[in-house]
Amino acid sequence: MSQYKIIFTGPVGAGKTTAINSISDLPPIKTDASASDMAKYRKASTTVALDYGVMNLPGGEKLHLYGTPGQERFDFMWDILVTGGIGLVLLLDNTRADPFQDMRFFLETFERFIADTTVAIGVTQMDLSAKPSIDDYHIQLRGMGIKPAIFAVDARAKSDVSLLIQALLYSLDPGLEG
Amino acid sequence: MDNNSNPLKVALHGLDERSCKMMSMFLQGPCRGVAVVVNESSAECEIFDADSISGKELLSNYLQKEIQKPIVILSLNTPQVASAFHVKKPVKTEEMIAALQKAKKSLAAVVAHAPVNSSDNTTNAVISDVQDSSKQVVEDKLTIKLHVKTDEQKKTSKHQAAMQLDEKGFVGFIGNVPGLDVNDPRQFSKAHYNPKEYFQGYVDSAFKVSRAKGHIRQLNSGWNPLIIFPQSDEIWLDVDESQLRAFSGLTISNTLGAKMSITPLSVESVAMERSLERYQSMDAFLWKVSCWASKGRYPGSIDINQPVFLKQWPNFTRLLLTPHAMRIAALLIQGPRTLLNVSQVLNVKPQYVFVFISSASALGLVGQTRRGADLLVEPDEIKTNKNQSLLSRILSVLRGKKA
Repeated sequence: MSQYKIIFTGPVGAGKTTAINSISDLPPIKTDASASDMAKYRKASTTVALDYGVMNLPGGEKLHLYGTPGQERFDFMWDILVTGGIGLVLLLDNTRADPFQDMRFFLETFERFIADTTVAIGVTQMDLSAKPSIDDYHIQLRGMGIKPAIFAVDARAKSDVSLLIQALLYSLDPGLEG
Repeated sequence: MDNNSNPLKVALHGLDERSCKMMSMFLQGPCRGVAVVVNESSAECEIFDADSISGKELLSNYLQKEIQKPIVILSLNTPQVASAFHVKKPVKTEEMIAALQKAKKSLAAVVAHAPVNSSDNTTNAVISDVQDSSKQVVEDKLTIKLHVKTDEQKKTSKHQAAMQLDEKGFVGFIGNVPGLDVNDPRQFSKAHYNPKEYFQGYVDSAFKVSRAKGHIRQLNSGWNPLIIFPQSDEIWLDVDESQLRAFSGLTISNTLGAKMSITPLSVESVAMERSLERYQSMDAFLWKVSCWASKGRYPGSIDINQPVFLKQWPNFTRLLLTPHAMRIAALLIQGPRTLLNVSQVLNVKPQYVFVFISSASALGLVGQTRRGADLLVEPDEIKTNKNQSLLSRILSVLRGKKA
């Protein structure tokens, strides 16, 4: 049986663990530990390996949901992680000092994977920091020559995460009928 | 092997902490729980990474002992250990599962001849430790997340998902024009409307003025005033949704048009305390007002015979989601198509395309090409994804999972 997966990535505190938790059929396997470096200024614990969740599909198959560690020093794992992935969900924290820089970093890091599949971007914490706006992100993306779906997302809200993944899937094939 | 009720207890050797965590999740996830990582004293099987320096040494030492437990060796090259089960790197799920199943069978054979005392207490202690540590992490998280909500966070209409309409509820919620069948090709030429005749047009105009001036403005309509805050991209209106829906569907240019005015807000009015639930984002407000004005029609500014394209994705998590809106957006972001081509290619009723275009146009997200060449290159079919069946199944699950 094939292994299908969607990869969740983004900087520390963007809500990857929470987003996977929102839609996983199993309690997600978390690998959080007390943050001991730069991450400690943003939250008490951080993901040191990767998050994992599962969506059960009709017919008995499973969709695996993997979250990359937010800390850049784990980037050697990312290539391994994306192998066989059907798409990338990039979550960005709007309260970070320079979320555009975060966006560029992750889009460039996963450039080849995105070219082969697609990406949908969720901006979290917009209730804490309304700027930059979603339009501001689109302007930045235009400069990069891509037009992915980018939505305001509350990672705790299943409907938000669900819509973001739906956009990812429709980007792959607008003809899909769910 | 799914939901394995009796997983093989394995100990890991020669892997650093992070790799141990990854392997642990690999066994629980892709390997479908065929094995679970425990400490060495509780293990029924030993897994060695023979390519790491410590792994080589540990394996060598282990082989000196009187071995009762099966061994699985992970390595790039075939190891010279006849009794071990080898999994070649990079580790593949099926090969790992096969090796662990062989190890389990081997263990069963050993146990049949000389039962091994399992130290469940030790295992429980390890699990208990892990749980306690997780609990601590959760508690830490709760501590840091406990804070008083800001006013911005209390503006629930702004920060929560809007309504998602299905086909069944469309006409009841969006409305229709008596005597006009917008889905009848013979009536397409009449299936348009002029936003300026509706509340939509006045809201749009007030937004433009307010944004251009950068000042808070009030749209007076002889009805409840609409207050516009351009700096924070939000509006405040104290009416029920059903009232707004009814008002937005009326042609008011001939009746209330003369009463419409945009005025600056006095300092006292700006400072006035308002119900935070009544705040909405400007885009989300204009989007839904446009839906109700459209009633399934397209705006008159759109030439139905010319292709349109989408400049960017709408922020769908915060907008009223009409049927098939996401599919239409995904198609039009790829390139220009006429509205009827979109309807045909996606096999959806024209009213769903028209209402989407009305709202997307109101937000300035739609462009229209005017060159004849675009008509010639407009493709009839969509490139189907090779995983279409899988993607459809994921979609069906997601749609059943709306919160």
